[in-house]
Amino acid sequence: MRNIVKEFPGVLALNKVRFDLYEGEVHALLGENGAGKSTLIKIISGVYKPDFGEIYINGRKSFFANPTEAIQEGVATIHQELNLFEELTVAENIFVGNIKKFNISKSKMIKITDQLLKEFNFPIKASEKVKYLNTSEKQLVSIAKALSLNAKIIIMDEPTATITEHETKRLFEIIKDLKRKKISVIFISHRLEEVFEIADRVTVLRDGNYIGTSEIENISREELIKMMVGREIEEMYPKFNKISGEEIFKIENLEVGEYVKDVSFDVKKGEIFGIAGLVGSGKLEIALGIYGYLPSKWKQLILNGKKITPSRNMLDYGIALVPEDRKKMGLVLEMDVMRNIILQNTDEVSRFGKISWKKSKIIATEEVKKYAIKVSSIKQKVKTLSGGNQQKVVLSKVLRKRPEIIFLVEPTRGIDVGAKVEVYNIVNKLANEGVGVVFISSELPEIVSLCDRVLVMHRGRSMGILNKNKINQENILKLATGVDIK
Amino acid sequence: MNWKGILKKLKEYPAIVGFVGIVIFFAFLSDRFLTLSNFINVFRQVSIQAIIAFGMTLVIISGGIDLSVGSVFALSAVVMASVLKGGSVLLGVLVALLVGALLGSINGVIVAKGKIQPFIVTLATMAIARSLTLVFTQGMPITGFPSSFRYIGRGDILGIPVPVIIMFGIFAIIFYISMFTKLGLYTYAIGGNETAAKLSGVKVDKYKIIIYMLSGLLSAIAAIILTARLNSAQPTFGTGYELDAIAAVVLGGASLAGGKGTVIGTLFGALIMGILNNGLNLLNVSPFYQQAVKGIVILIAVLIEREN
Ligand SMILES: Nc1ncnc2c1ncn2[C@@H]1O[C@H](COP(=O)(O)OP(=O)(O)OP(=O)(O)O)[C@@H](O)[C@H]1O
Ligand SMILES: [Mg+2]
Repeated sequence: MRNIVKEFPGVLALNKVRFDLYEGEVHALLGENGAGKSTLIKIISGVYKPDFGEIYINGRKSFFANPTEAIQEGVATIHQELNLFEELTVAENIFVGNIKKFNISKSKMIKITDQLLKEFNFPIKASEKVKYLNTSEKQLVSIAKALSLNAKIIIMDEPTATITEHETKRLFEIIKDLKRKKISVIFISHRLEEVFEIADRVTVLRDGNYIGTSEIENISREELIKMMVGREIEEMYPKFNKISGEEIFKIENLEVGEYVKDVSFDVKKGEIFGIAGLVGSGKLEIALGIYGYLPSKWKQLILNGKKITPSRNMLDYGIALVPEDRKKMGLVLEMDVMRNIILQNTDEVSRFGKISWKKSKIIATEEVKKYAIKVSSIKQKVKTLSGGNQQKVVLSKVLRKRPEIIFLVEPTRGIDVGAKVEVYNIVNKLANEGVGVVFISSELPEIVSLCDRVLVMHRGRSMGILNKNKINQENILKLATGVDIK
Repeated sequence: MNWKGILKKLKEYPAIVGFVGIVIFFAFLSDRFLTLSNFINVFRQVSIQAIIAFGMTLVIISGGIDLSVGSVFALSAVVMASVLKGGSVLLGVLVALLVGALLGSINGVIVAKGKIQPFIVTLATMAIARSLTLVFTQGMPITGFPSSFRYIGRGDILGIPVPVIIMFGIFAIIFYISMFTKLGLYTYAIGGNETAAKLSGVKVDKYKIIIYMLSGLLSAIAAIILTARLNSAQPTFGTGYELDAIAAVVLGGASLAGGKGTVIGTLFGALIMGILNNGLNLLNVSPFYQQAVKGIVILIAVLIEREN
């Protein structure tokens, strides 16, 4: 790809970017939030038309008017939002759009699919309905679909952001297998460890500009970060919170439907309290239950000395939540940045039900600046923001009104290195201001480095709370898989 | 503003473009069309549908639908009429408003608390309210009201019919609500992403009830106007009004999926429907064709919408 230029109203998303891909290589695409990674791959896969520039495949000038054409030419994309039909089976999903060519019976379809899945060692059944699969398994379905269409290039936009470590390992095995079969992979991730593990080469974008491409052996982690951020980051996991020992939050015998059974913990002033566990262990539901989104009960909940009974608006008590899935739970995608920020803070800008847009503008501008959210204007629809910037909008709107305790669920998912450090800084500051912080995450490195105590969940139950000196990846993983530690 | 800018703005309000287009079309074909008196006529005819459609706009933006507007219209008309017969105009009007707001709230409560799809809830209340209307009147119209009441439907101020003035008054209020109040912001948010709205602390149930209540209330206001104009309340009042209202809202650029739509769009959507009626009548097109023309216009509008 040469000289690719793409402009959206108000932003130059890509400015003369180039990119090349060898046969059978894994090429990582790196850059901060809003750097233009997703835009670039959307151009490769025919979703967007570039304003300028050329694309060559096998030396032939190519151009895809739409994703279907791209797929026919062997370019398959696994977007962050997986487009599968939940009500259909794995086999049907793989054959959708392909059925005419095969025109086969259901049982034969399932047989062919099972063969394909077996060939690549995918641990899923062709006859299963997609809605019963987890995120990682759905990803595999998308990959299988790409393979069934004889894809030569498979593009994965942040495939590891929503899956567990174990599942990531499995995905990487599969990617290595693809390489052996001479299939090229473009891989986007904000996790540098993964890039070093799987990529052959890496290309960095910053603010829509092409910064450089390098063999992975010839570059260090620090150099990469510098290329991405444009400056050096001294401390990846800043930690400066001070625990005072005073208890600000305590819950006893929490039950959330069938997800969480009999969980108790307390949070001290100034402490960063972590909750870890595999997908489906109930760690998210703890937050949703306490927040009142899922039906829950408890024997006792004490927040800053006040006893609290379950109610539907826990926000009024100062219990705040940064939800896990920003698109489904955090944002109104069709609304602009300002309205999304104001939505949770209407009392600050309204009197007798009337909203002052003047005040709203000031607040939104303030928040955009405070969290360095990259927007063309506060009137930009959040739908068109890059993933990381969407997450920042969620953080800003939730934190605007200082809560007494905050549950942060996967708050750094999909956000870049620089922004992650910012989030960690914010978390530390909140703790020091006396806000109770519960940090729920699937990313062990950040849990280990950031948290003072960690509760580990396994199948809806607490496996115990690790104290600082016991917190390490090994212990957490053991507990998370149901193995006791001494 | 350059051409491109104007074009972009217009794209946001396709109903205005359509309105202007249809006006020009009829102006060429009929010389009686582009006159002040004809336009006042159109506005008066449209006022009743438009008022109902303004309420429907909020409901649709919030991701719901209200099929019961026509029946609520009828029930509030006949209940009011029986009170009017007793003498007090003020009491009659208040009773009508009360009936509308109450029925609307019932819709809202069942939708919000019962977590039942609005389509089904309001389909049921549509049937129930219609049935109550027939029982209440024994199928007979109620006629003959004080002249002070008839003024609401027939009077004019400086040549502008009272119904048109009421319509613009309500337009202004609903426009204000949608653009400058918490209720408006929440309406868009609930329709755009109910889960996110709830997690942001919006009391979703409460606001849904308010939205449906407003829809019922506006149906009642429209019923007052029609009853006053005809000097009669009939049990068949409002039949099919829900479709006209939905059509106006959709023509105005709203999406039945929720989160999108404007009150200005709805005003022009209703005007398009009114102008079509009026223009086709002036051209002596058989009424048998008129529904088909309306249907085609709606389809074209929605297709244009999707292009954007
Ligand atoms: N449809 C659109 N309309 C307007 N602006 C857009 C649109 N799509 C993307 N942008 C803007 O283009 C820029 C690049 O976005 P892109 O999604 O490519 O970033 P990214 O590198 O994938 O970031 P992330 O790591 O956060 O996913 C951002 O500033 C974004 O706001
Ligand atoms: Mg992206």
